[in-house]
Amino acid sequence: MSTRNELARANAAVETRTGEPPEDAVAPATLALIDTYLRDHPGGTERLIPVLHRVQEELGYLPFPVIKAIAERLGISPIQAYGVVSFYHFFTTTPRGRYQLKVCMGTACFVRNANSVLEAVRDTIGLEVGGVTEDRLFSLEQVRCLGACGLAPAMMVNSEVHGHLTRNGVRKLLLGLRAKARKPHTGGEGDNG
Amino acid sequence: MGEIAPASAPLDRKTLAELRLRLADTLRARAGEPATGAPRELLVCAGGACISCHSVAVADELERALAASSLAGRVRVVRVGCMGLCEAGPLVVVSPDGVYYQKVDREGARRIVAEHLIAGRVVSDLELAWDAPDGRRLTGHEVPFFAQQVKIALRNCGVIDPAAIEEYAARDGYLALERVLFELSPDEVIDALKSSGLRGRGGAGFPSGMKWQFVREAPGDEKFVVCNGDEGDPGAFMDRSLLEGDPHSIIEGMAIAGRVTGASRGFVYVRAEYPLAIERLDNALTAARRAGLLGEDILGSGFGFDIEIRIGAGAFVCGEETALLRSIEGKRGTPQPRPPFPAQHGLWDKPTLINNVETWASVAPILLRGPQWFAAIGTRRSKGTKVFALAGAIRNTGLVEVPMGISLRTIVEEIGGGIPSGRSFKAAQSGGPSGGCIPAAAADVAIDYESLQELGSIMGSGGLIILDDRTCMVELARFFLEFLVEESCGKCPPCRIGTRVMLNLLERITKGEAVPADLDTLEALGRHIQRTSLCGLGQTAPNAVLSTLRHFRAEYDAHVLEGRCPAGQCKALLTYTILAEPCSGCALCAKACPSGAITGEIKHLHVIDQELCIHCGACLSVCPTDAVEAV
Ligand SMILES: Cc1cc2nc3c(=O)[nH]c(=O)nc-3n(C[C@H](O)[C@H](O)[C@H](O)COP(=O)(O)O)c2cc1C
Ligand code: FES
Repeated sequence: MSTRNELARANAAVETRTGEPPEDAVAPATLALIDTYLRDHPGGTERLIPVLHRVQEELGYLPFPVIKAIAERLGISPIQAYGVVSFYHFFTTTPRGRYQLKVCMGTACFVRNANSVLEAVRDTIGLEVGGVTEDRLFSLEQVRCLGACGLAPAMMVNSEVHGHLTRNGVRKLLLGLRAKARKPHTGGEGDNG
Repeated sequence: MGEIAPASAPLDRKTLAELRLRLADTLRARAGEPATGAPRELLVCAGGACISCHSVAVADELERALAASSLAGRVRVVRVGCMGLCEAGPLVVVSPDGVYYQKVDREGARRIVAEHLIAGRVVSDLELAWDAPDGRRLTGHEVPFFAQQVKIALRNCGVIDPAAIEEYAARDGYLALERVLFELSPDEVIDALKSSGLRGRGGAGFPSGMKWQFVREAPGDEKFVVCNGDEGDPGAFMDRSLLEGDPHSIIEGMAIAGRVTGASRGFVYVRAEYPLAIERLDNALTAARRAGLLGEDILGSGFGFDIEIRIGAGAFVCGEETALLRSIEGKRGTPQPRPPFPAQHGLWDKPTLINNVETWASVAPILLRGPQWFAAIGTRRSKGTKVFALAGAIRNTGLVEVPMGISLRTIVEEIGGGIPSGRSFKAAQSGGPSGGCIPAAAADVAIDYESLQELGSIMGSGGLIILDDRTCMVELARFFLEFLVEESCGKCPPCRIGTRVMLNLLERITKGEAVPADLDTLEALGRHIQRTSLCGLGQTAPNAVLSTLRHFRAEYDAHVLEGRCPAGQCKALLTYTILAEPCSGCALCAKACPSGAITGEIKHLHVIDQELCIHCGACLSVCPTDAVEAV
């Protein structure tokens, strides 16, 4: 399998999933973010992972044209950069929800019935692992240990840990977040994640 | 902020010495050590777990209540790191009284101020207490959870405000670094580590002094020091608590190693799932730089050293040292065959010293109190203490630091407070996915690196998940294999393909589709993967299966020969029936059943058609009256 093919496939896969325009359409603000980061942190290709973190923190995900722009600036091939993105679970090439739910499936949570947390999420907002709700309010992932094992079963909502979860607790939490998101403005709100 | 002024100017040796004198008693009192003249303080646990139980709001409420009282300006509220007993959080301690309050909310905070501080009465319904078998009510530092511990790595966790470098310094912090810079030769430091018997706390237990010596002796003018804070084992959270609760102890250990090995740059690799640890460490690095304890010419010694943070990105294999170094270089974190070892060819091919967070935190106390003191604790081959993270089916979940050689029974029954809900202790899982299960029958074995290995498990990073009789050991083994299949980096075939095949076999067993020969295949395949994998991930991947096969063979046999799951966890092997007594006829089960196997009239007993039942357990989970029985 040639690199070119893999690249094309990766590219196509990303585009069809995200509906991103195919060409190097990277918003100027994103380019500025990348350039500023690289200027403030002089060095070599070891900056790839930190800069990916920085951009994903801002955009919520890593669209392929952005990965390509970063690769160019670091003087590596886009596929090399994509290889790094695809290796690490933390990086994602699809947009995530405004509330990123990370349900812990680590051992401590597993033996304290973490499955029921996943089920409660599915029953409440209809999400499966890896999915995003249509309004992009919620996305769901499973992670392996949040280091909050004393609170098992646990789930992270963005950077906040919620512990000792019950089916009902999960339900209330999610419905609360949804109500909160709908209250101040109506419509569009959930779409900027 | 009371008597502790934040240091904005560099700290010289004289200022450090003064700080230690001035604050020593205050901090000793907080740690429950003998002290005189310590001021009244309220310590609030601001560890990760307590924060998610809203301890920050409790601290704010305490401050508000104090400000509005006659004590305004006289009692400080200190936000300290993890106190260990996560189960009882948010925790508040009144120092120097040594009174612990548990599960404190805002109302509790107001009562502590009004009743304890002002009226001078302990709020007994909030007090953390333990009824001893002899009928005594134990409180404060006498509670077995605290009394049985020996804190070396965790010496400052729950005692100091991690954001106050002065408080760290006052606990003799940076004193070991001073000694290394001005009094001890590098060889003396290495000799001290060697005779202390300190072994790596990241899993493999390699003697730390030897590793330091290899790096010191490796040729090269550029060397690196790395802290492994990836903490990938699910169920382990000691490194997180250390980074959050006492970041300077890691910085000091690394700076000492920089001096000893001749490195001037260090990296701390922390996993992305720990945003609070990253933030606290980053603040501590800034404070240390500002104080002149990092950077050029530290304390006028001519030695320069600085540390950068690298954030992981969610790959278990990156905890393996060679993979971790590739990741710092910005590459895919695939392991490399060893040798060459990082000590000779590490980061960017330069000699690199890599140690675990807990190992780093143990360095300064060994140099200050002497290697003999450390070596006197523990067993013949495993010296000192080990931090364990207690989780799972145990009453007192949290972090404990105990002498090596302690028995599992003491940890579970005395420190851990036993198994909740009237269940029985079945086994403890140690070492994460690379480890195995220690059966209850071996609970009296003295725990150290060797004894755990003899039992088919490993020490690992210290995650200890307690299992009760409801956990199916086959399902647990399947869970770990699923984890490892996902986390195998794919570089070597034994690990990539072998773990997949093992997982398939385990799935067959938990579904009741296996034949007796499958168990032999599992075992043979496991041995083969152990021998032929490239890195530690693959070499230890079969442990979960092999150790459960060894200690819980009967449970595997029940699945394979009788189609039965004794723990009642493998859904496919369970028969679901609805009990007449509790069934209220609400029909929720019939609605939830995806195969239409449940029939019955509203307000009358419902019945499951065993022919149609697909064993999904949906009825069990929706039944509001616990009328569905699964056996
Ligand atoms: C698959 C795998 C995962 C590992 N994960 C960790 C980890 O999360 N944290 C850690 O400190 N060591 C981990 N190790 C051990 C490291 O490779 C290395 O031995 C350790 O960081 C050395 O430090 P120490 O001597 O202080 O223990 C892991 C090893 C393997 C094979
Ligand atoms: S296993 Fe879930 S937080 Fe550790």
